[in-house]
Amino acid sequence: MKKLATALCCLAALGLSAPTLAHGFTKPQHGGVVMMNGETLFELVAQPAGVSLYMIDEDDPVNAAGMTAKLSVTAGGKRSDVAMVAMKGNQFFAKGLKLPKGANVGVQVTNKATGARYGTTFIIK
Amino acid sequence: MHRRFRLSRALALAGAMAVGLTAVTAEAHGIWFAQRAKQLALIYGIGADDLDMVKRLPQVEKIEAYDADYQPIKAAARVAGPIVLVDSDAQPTVVAAVMPYGTWSRVGTGEFEKKTLQEMPNATVSTHNIKYAVAIVGQLSKPLPALPGQVVQIVPAGPIPATLGTPLKYVVLYNGKPVAGAKVVNDMVNDPDAKEVETGADGSVTLPVRNQGLNVIRAVYVGPSDQPKLYKQVEHTATLAFTLPHAPE
Repeated sequence: MKKLATALCCLAALGLSAPTLAHGFTKPQHGGVVMMNGETLFELVAQPAGVSLYMIDEDDPVNAAGMTAKLSVTAGGKRSDVAMVAMKGNQFFAKGLKLPKGANVGVQVTNKATGARYGTTFIIK
Repeated sequence: MHRRFRLSRALALAGAMAVGLTAVTAEAHGIWFAQRAKQLALIYGIGADDLDMVKRLPQVEKIEAYDADYQPIKAAARVAGPIVLVDSDAQPTVVAAVMPYGTWSRVGTGEFEKKTLQEMPNATVSTHNIKYAVAIVGQLSKPLPALPGQVVQIVPAGPIPATLGTPLKYVVLYNGKPVAGAKVVNDMVNDPDAKEVETGADGSVTLPVRNQGLNVIRAVYVGPSDQPKLYKQVEHTATLAFTLPHAPE
């Protein structure tokens, strides 16, 4: 830490700055687990009432109302596709859904206007 | 249809191949999957030549997507301006495509022409070309199997490593079985002219994963003709694409 601080001081003294990070948020914002796909963050949050998904595109929370979202849960040799409901802001919700340990969860979010698809996969630990 | 066909430097050697053919590798281009503007695209080309896939789209016979259990997911190609995107009904773990690329014949060292043996009966080389592409786009929960329609397919024989430089064993399958003598290039996008490595008796090659990003491995296998009146051989060009994520920022 001391070394990092010294390095930053040296950079500042030379009129240089530390490299700017290319993307925005990469950490969970809601206590869930995160997967990045390029600059897009997907956060999956298992809750007693169901499963939430939050999506941030670089620094910008997406407008869930303009998207459709689907979870594909593969476990025990079977895949279940679950359509999520758009909530406030960048939240999607699948009521009553449980994610078993070891499940492979595909996330697909589709922009209603353009048809562009965004996605990732989680393996539930 | 471009005509930049590679002249074989190994005509004599090819005669010794297991299939007993005078196997000439006629065409080094391939198809592969890659991300374009966050979307999954099907690419035709070689090296940095990202060529016109839209005009070739009618030649694409199959585009398929599979879930984590390798069960099919409905998928289709969509033209988006100058590129071809692949839309699937759910987030896939693996995608695959097949594109027959016609029959090409020539006499001696002359130019290849898009003709069959019936149209060029004195052809010394007559080859039917088929391109295949498989991409791993999600986390694998189990080993990648032979996929339907992929007559030649590259499969990783172990988990995809996290960092470049790590050796990874690949097996080239022909009709679902390991095949010797397939010619493999580790990175057909960034190092397309690299010396090809042939698969051994067990159908495998081991190569260091080259890129902390997109990797596109290519295998070419020349198999026997299924229509000897029309062509003397079938040249199968298969790719396997996968991506190693970069370090967190």
